[in-house]
Amino acid sequence: MTTWFPVVVTLIVAGLVVGVMCTINMLLGPKRPSEIKGEAFECGNPPSGSAWGRFSVRFYLTAILFLVFDVEVIFLYPWAVEIRRLGMFGFVEALIFIVILAVGLIYAWQRGALDWD
Amino acid sequence: MLTAIIFLPLLGALLIMMQSDERTVWNAAFVFSLVPLGLSFYMLWQFRAGEAGYQFVEQYPWIPSLGISYHLGVDGISLFLVVLTTLLITISLFYSAGGDIEERAREFCFFVLVLETGLLGALLAVDLFLFYVFWEVMLIPMYFLIGIWGHGERIYAALKFVVFTMVGSLLMLVAILCLVFSARQHLEHITFDLPMLYQVPLSTTEARWLFAAFALAFAIKVPMWPVHTWLPDAHTNAPTAGSVILAGIMLKMGTYGFLRFAIPLFPEVAVEAIPLFMALAVIGIIYGALVAMMQPDLKRLVAYSSVSHLGFVMLGIFAFNIQGIDGAVYQMLNHGISTGGLFLLVGMIYLRRHTREISEFGGLWKSVPIYAGIFMVVMLSSIGLPGLNGFVGEFLIMLGTFLRLKLAAVFAVTGVILGALYMLWTYERVQFGPITKAVNETIADLNGREIASMVPLIALMLLMGFFPRPLISRIEPSAARLLERVNVAEARLDERRHRAALAATAPRGLDSRILKVAAAK
Amino acid sequence: MINFSQINLVWLPVLPLVVIATAAMVVLLVGVRVDDEESDGLGWLALASIVIALVLALGIFGQSGIAFAGAIAIDSFSAFFELSILIAAALTVLMSLDYADEHRLPGAEYYSLLLFSVLGMMLMATASDLIVIFIGLETMSLAVYVLAGLLRRDPRSSEAAIKYFLLGAFSTGFLLYGIALIYGATGTIKLVAIHAALTGPLLSNPLLLLGLGLMLIGFGFKVAAVPFHMWTPDVYEGAPTPITAFMAVGVKIAAFAGFLRVFMVQLGPASAAWTDVMWAISALTMTVGNMLAIVQSNIKRMLAYSAIAHAGYILVALTAGGPQAGGAILYYLLGYAFTNLGAFAVVVALERRGAAGDQIADYRGLATRQPLMAAAMAIFLLSLLGIPPLVGFVGKFYLFNAAVHRGFVGLVVIGVLNSAASAYYYLSVVVAMYMQEGGFLEETRRSRPALVAAIAIALIGTVLIGIYPEPYFTAAGNAYQSAMSPEEVHAATAMAP
Repeated sequence: MTTWFPVVVTLIVAGLVVGVMCTINMLLGPKRPSEIKGEAFECGNPPSGSAWGRFSVRFYLTAILFLVFDVEVIFLYPWAVEIRRLGMFGFVEALIFIVILAVGLIYAWQRGALDWD
Repeated sequence: MLTAIIFLPLLGALLIMMQSDERTVWNAAFVFSLVPLGLSFYMLWQFRAGEAGYQFVEQYPWIPSLGISYHLGVDGISLFLVVLTTLLITISLFYSAGGDIEERAREFCFFVLVLETGLLGALLAVDLFLFYVFWEVMLIPMYFLIGIWGHGERIYAALKFVVFTMVGSLLMLVAILCLVFSARQHLEHITFDLPMLYQVPLSTTEARWLFAAFALAFAIKVPMWPVHTWLPDAHTNAPTAGSVILAGIMLKMGTYGFLRFAIPLFPEVAVEAIPLFMALAVIGIIYGALVAMMQPDLKRLVAYSSVSHLGFVMLGIFAFNIQGIDGAVYQMLNHGISTGGLFLLVGMIYLRRHTREISEFGGLWKSVPIYAGIFMVVMLSSIGLPGLNGFVGEFLIMLGTFLRLKLAAVFAVTGVILGALYMLWTYERVQFGPITKAVNETIADLNGREIASMVPLIALMLLMGFFPRPLISRIEPSAARLLERVNVAEARLDERRHRAALAATAPRGLDSRILKVAAAK
Repeated sequence: MINFSQINLVWLPVLPLVVIATAAMVVLLVGVRVDDEESDGLGWLALASIVIALVLALGIFGQSGIAFAGAIAIDSFSAFFELSILIAAALTVLMSLDYADEHRLPGAEYYSLLLFSVLGMMLMATASDLIVIFIGLETMSLAVYVLAGLLRRDPRSSEAAIKYFLLGAFSTGFLLYGIALIYGATGTIKLVAIHAALTGPLLSNPLLLLGLGLMLIGFGFKVAAVPFHMWTPDVYEGAPTPITAFMAVGVKIAAFAGFLRVFMVQLGPASAAWTDVMWAISALTMTVGNMLAIVQSNIKRMLAYSAIAHAGYILVALTAGGPQAGGAILYYLLGYAFTNLGAFAVVVALERRGAAGDQIADYRGLATRQPLMAAAMAIFLLSLLGIPPLVGFVGKFYLFNAAVHRGFVGLVVIGVLNSAASAYYYLSVVVAMYMQEGGFLEETRRSRPALVAAIAIALIGTVLIGIYPEPYFTAAGNAYQSAMSPEEVHAATAMAP
């Protein structure tokens, strides 16, 4: 329990600091709302169209494919760090893992998930 | 031997399904019912009279991990029922081939033969599990027989029949399981074998519950008042062969179940239940007779007469003396023969007139004399005229009942009188008097096949009426052995009651003595 | 340093899993090059892999041990369940060949997803720690969610998929949370270790009890126990019929494998905590399933409610516990696989594109049009109803026998009364087939040999395992015992002669 004590202190201090600063801001800061300030922020440009814009459904597929490789990378990093200790067994395991993901990619590719048209 | 009797019909049923020609089907079915009939007569011939135990025993392990075996045997109680079954099935098939069943003959024969397997198996099984299997197997073919070839509200009747019977039999299954569980504790091994289960000592409460479950299942099948309501529907709507089998054999399964299972397994409770069952039986007798009298439909009338007649059988069983039980078994056979015959006769007239309303008939004596003559004999047998089979059974039952409980005998006699009354009255309305409907003048009399179907039944009525001895001598040892169990239980029960009475009076006795002593001082 | 040669030793028992996984990927890759109209080859490929796995799984019988650091149990229990699942899968594939053709299902996705779900089921059956059970469950469920929605032109199918997915995901959450709490209470996810830890004060630990309850809900969803059954009828009705069959049988077997291993085998010491709840769930499941089945007019919905009722019967034995009950459940599930798949195979045979022919009224007069098909259906329904000597009766007999021997007579009485009530709706189909005329007038379609084979195999199983149950029942009993630790077996046998 004692080892976690500094963490608790940190948390409390952090909470206090943020809380105090927000409160001060709320009390002292000037409030002049205007129409321009209430608009959606689009990198400084004047907003165009509705905020509920549509975009192509293909992005979903791309995003899902990205997710697959994202997860793959998350698993491969720790493996790469420990590759010497895991040896041949680890190497084969990782290969199987990559192959399974590759099968998925090939399938998606064949079904046309990568074609934009 | 017994295996052959049971499974030959099933084999026949399967072979028939491969045939397509209708004539061949009927002939094959007839042959496949004739062979078990022959075998059962051979069994009757070989049966050693005077022995109480099972004969022709066959036993092989089936599900050894639960102590279930394929155990068959026949004794005096089941012997004649087996013969009756094979006979009535043969007659039903023979009769139905003559035009009663016109469509889907192949399936009809299939179901009748499967039904025969179920009935025979239930009669011959000595293992509770095996018995239960056959008991349920006979339900389904009968369901199809009523549902496919029946008349009127056939589907409703078939479903009612199945659900009623299933509720009873499934509760019996639970009771069987409980019984086996108790057996496992007492005998140190698990078994479904009937003779072994006879030895299980049960606590009174346990025995009462189990007896109740068994008795309910069998009472529905008998059927006893008030669980008889499925019977009129099933009977009325079933095809002729279905009614014959249902009344002739299937109802006997209930009374047979009492004799074979419910009573010997729980003799003490059975003795305790005598007043209840005698009361229900008497109510059934009188109620059945009264309702039968009021029926406008000939078939429904016969159906209600069954309720009445089976009441007599129950009365005989619960008399618990040798006359009563002998008479009950005898009456089971009688009822099979005479009611089977009546249903056949009703079927024959229905085929000619397509109605069963009593008011539609009248004066048939003039146009169809052979029919009327045969009807007369069968009806008299059903009433219990001396010289015919019905008399022997009824007489023995009345004797037994009189020895056990005079009051029940007195009421039951009213049932006999009512029975004679409604039968004769019906006969008068149907056969005598002037011909009121013109169609009745031209209907054809019985043909050769129909007469041939009735001849064996009439012969049996006469034979069993004049020579009951050969049958009784084979029934009696087994009945006596059953009674032995009941008597032992009754003695034990009396002793327990006596001791309880003593225990109840003893302190009072002590008090009074103390009082006397005090008074003396 | 991990020694590769030691790892090698345990490959054999997981070979069935490997075969199925490989086959699933091969089917997927080959399948994308094949037209939907010619998907038969993929089906046969899937069937071949299932048969190979079946043979390999037979080899696991009698072995005992754990592999992959305690994640996988190698025992007859796994083998028995794997066999049941693979039989169910094989029959499903046989009936799918016809259906996929008629309904133009995409073969690659269909068969590979089927194999993936089989993989998940087998994983559930062999798992010996909670995480692997969860992974198996998810693999199975995700595949089945998609399969349920494969009839893309049928809105009912999409509805089925979305409903199944949402409620399934929800229930998985419960299961996972339960696993987490049990881990919190016992400090381990290994079932054997949990079993060993369940002593004394821990048994009344609120964390443990809460975890148990949550896991009960999670499994309850998967086996469709009341009150977690709401999804069943809609999903069963909408999904492609072979998939419905597979859900009713395969998913149920796998879920019960997990249920059994977790609750009866490993959490046995804590049984006092859940027996009463299970009693109520069991009674409810039987009663509600049967009562609602009576009013159905769609045969798939009727079979869905009947599946709920059957889960209730199994729960009777699960409530009772004990080695006899375990064996009975294993036997029942095997028999149920044959019977229920057979019934669904007949439904597939009679169904037409656009879901015509799945009303009970459509079965009118079938006995005169297709007598063999009607006879097969009648036998399957009678088996479900529990008429001897068919397997459905013997299975129910074993279940109730086990429960009576543990003193649960009241529950058994509820069970048999339900059985009697179920006569009404099973027989209503028989009534339609045999005792009524009409039905749809379309010319009868000739069923493909594969479908006929599926029905024939199911029929043989239904009759044979029922008439001569001894070897299967003994195997089931041994399989159940193999999942228990030796001391437990000893204690159990000492208690029950």
